[in-house]
Amino acid sequence: MTEINAATIGRPAARPAGAATGGVLADYRDIVRDFWRSRELLIELARRDIRIRYKQAIMGFGWAIFMPLLIVMSGCLVRFAMMQMSGGSLNRAAIGSIAVKSLPWAFFVGSINFATASLTGNINLVTKIYFPREVLPLSSTLAQSFDTAIGALALAVMMPFIGGTLSPALVWVPVLILLLFLFTSGTTLFLSCANLFFRDVKYIVQVLVTFGIFFTPVFFEPVALGHIGAKLIMLNPIAPILEGFRLSIIQGHNLLEPLMIVGPRGSAILEWSPWFLAYSAAWAVLGFLGASLLFHRAEYAFAEYV
Amino acid sequence: MSEPIAAGPGIEFEHVWKKFHRGEHHDSLRDLLPALARRMTGRGQSAAELADDDFWAVGDVSFEVRPGDALGIIGRNGAGKSTVLKLLTKILRPNRGSCDVRGRIGALIEVSAGFHQDLTGKENIFLQGAIMGMPKTLIASKFDEIVAFSGVSAFIDTPVKRYSSGMNARLGFSIAAHLDPDVLIIDEVLSVGDYDFQQRAFGRISSMVASGIPVVVVSHQLDRIATLCTSAIMLEAGRVAYRGAPAECIQTYMSALGTGQSESSDPCGMRLESFSVVGPDTVPSGGQIRLRATGRLDRSGATGNESFAVAVHNVQAGRLVFEDYDWDMLPFAGTDEEFVIETDLEFNLAQGLYVIDSFVWDRQKEKILLTGPSVYVNVQGGRRFRGTTQLNAQFSRTVASGAVSEPQAR
Repeated sequence: MTEINAATIGRPAARPAGAATGGVLADYRDIVRDFWRSRELLIELARRDIRIRYKQAIMGFGWAIFMPLLIVMSGCLVRFAMMQMSGGSLNRAAIGSIAVKSLPWAFFVGSINFATASLTGNINLVTKIYFPREVLPLSSTLAQSFDTAIGALALAVMMPFIGGTLSPALVWVPVLILLLFLFTSGTTLFLSCANLFFRDVKYIVQVLVTFGIFFTPVFFEPVALGHIGAKLIMLNPIAPILEGFRLSIIQGHNLLEPLMIVGPRGSAILEWSPWFLAYSAAWAVLGFLGASLLFHRAEYAFAEYV
Repeated sequence: MSEPIAAGPGIEFEHVWKKFHRGEHHDSLRDLLPALARRMTGRGQSAAELADDDFWAVGDVSFEVRPGDALGIIGRNGAGKSTVLKLLTKILRPNRGSCDVRGRIGALIEVSAGFHQDLTGKENIFLQGAIMGMPKTLIASKFDEIVAFSGVSAFIDTPVKRYSSGMNARLGFSIAAHLDPDVLIIDEVLSVGDYDFQQRAFGRISSMVASGIPVVVVSHQLDRIATLCTSAIMLEAGRVAYRGAPAECIQTYMSALGTGQSESSDPCGMRLESFSVVGPDTVPSGGQIRLRATGRLDRSGATGNESFAVAVHNVQAGRLVFEDYDWDMLPFAGTDEEFVIETDLEFNLAQGLYVIDSFVWDRQKEKILLTGPSVYVNVQGGRRFRGTTQLNAQFSRTVASGAVSEPQAR
């Protein structure tokens, strides 16, 4: 009868600890197998998180719209103030730009907020029942994806009115979503694990999340920072992903093509280069792989250190 | 017992060592980073060595559980029982040795740990089931059975935060008990819910054990160990202190528990050498037990107040049930004379496990002079009754004339 089962069949005989652990490849094989076996648990935990978020909540699903909307509105305000200084006006495309970057940003921040405490918030599970612990931060990210999907639906409906364009460049959107998800998952895996060992990680995260928006081109375009600033801000791994959303959705720009723009002072500024995307992709993929490995190797110590 | 197939379900616990750390783990990031680096690379000082403030919570414990076996683990608090279970369920990983569990583990441990207070009973069944590793289709097919067993069907759509603690535990147990595992691990869940539920839960566990899957039981309810298990080990400070049949293991444990009041400095002309049950040590409630004690009498050093005595304790309740001594004087005639004392006891007691201690009692000073060996007696159901004592109720029925004597048809 035996249906192959999530989680509990678990690993092969525990390797004698202390001995050099089998190769990295063997670890990745374990990770993939554990992950595949616990897919049902992952979905069940994500459903739990979603249910809890909307139970006994006066606004219900309104929350999924409200949070990104608030970010967009603050973005518009900041942008309006900037325009007042430089003498321009807040057009529809500017609102659209802010909107398509705010939603992914809200996803990233929301995931980190929920996932960082996902291990410490489930101490009773971690110390009492065995299952691959990756599912805890990942299910938080998944639950946040659900919220974001509702927001994205609302955004898609509004898109024609705020400068969205239908162009072949939209094929980049799924790629960007995948990169964003990978990068966010890697970050949450790392942070949840770190927070289990050092409880002050969540305070550091709070600070980073609060001020991160100033170091990320959400409310403004990198061009506004000038010739060098535009390149520097792209060092933030999430910046090219957000810019990619804006360029492909609002400007219909093919992300494989570089884009030069004449800045306010007449100098040419590199607004986009495919290398920006490659840089982000490297962060997303390597970050995810590295964080998974770290998490997997530290996992055995969770119950002892928590 | 037939030889198991190599790949069949089973547990192999081979020379397992697990160390814990006293006090805080790492005081600062400075301590941790090198340690983590070592851990990551697998280099540096071996994890199998004991550093300062480390101690072995489990040391060199080995056992094997095959289909049809049920292993009981007993020991005092802190002896390492829970650590062994956590190693079995893969929550912890051994520092040395290997712990191999083949097959899907069903753990009757912390059966409601995964419950979320804001979710309904129904939602929690699916959640807890998934955490315990049940496929969703299996949970769905067992859903009605789980609800019926738990007895909370009227409240299945109520958030569990409104449940009583008993309902919570009953629901958790019911989920875990319907896992259909290949290997079963049980920890102290035998005391969940009220009397009726306990009986049902025990019945369920017994039938799971009887189905022949490998089982490990940890419990302080020693009579449950005696009934469920085919073998037992006793842990003491992380080591296996005794290994054998459940009955002997429990006896060893009970006598180790005896608080070492064995010898007093008072003169005593009586030595106890053996103490045993004549005939079977399992009796129906209300049955007879004959005990035989042998030893030696020595006139020199005797006060003449020595008496042979027995005390019966209920193992589960840890309560004294009966204590009495031989009222007749012993003839202290020579030196080094053998004696045999037979004691008949009527076990008018409820079913359970009882331990009988033998000792020498000073009638005048009213104190124990020395303790001898103990035996253990398992009382089976006999006539069904509730309570602690078999009073052999006889119901005589007389029906007054004129009253309806026929039982009414329903």
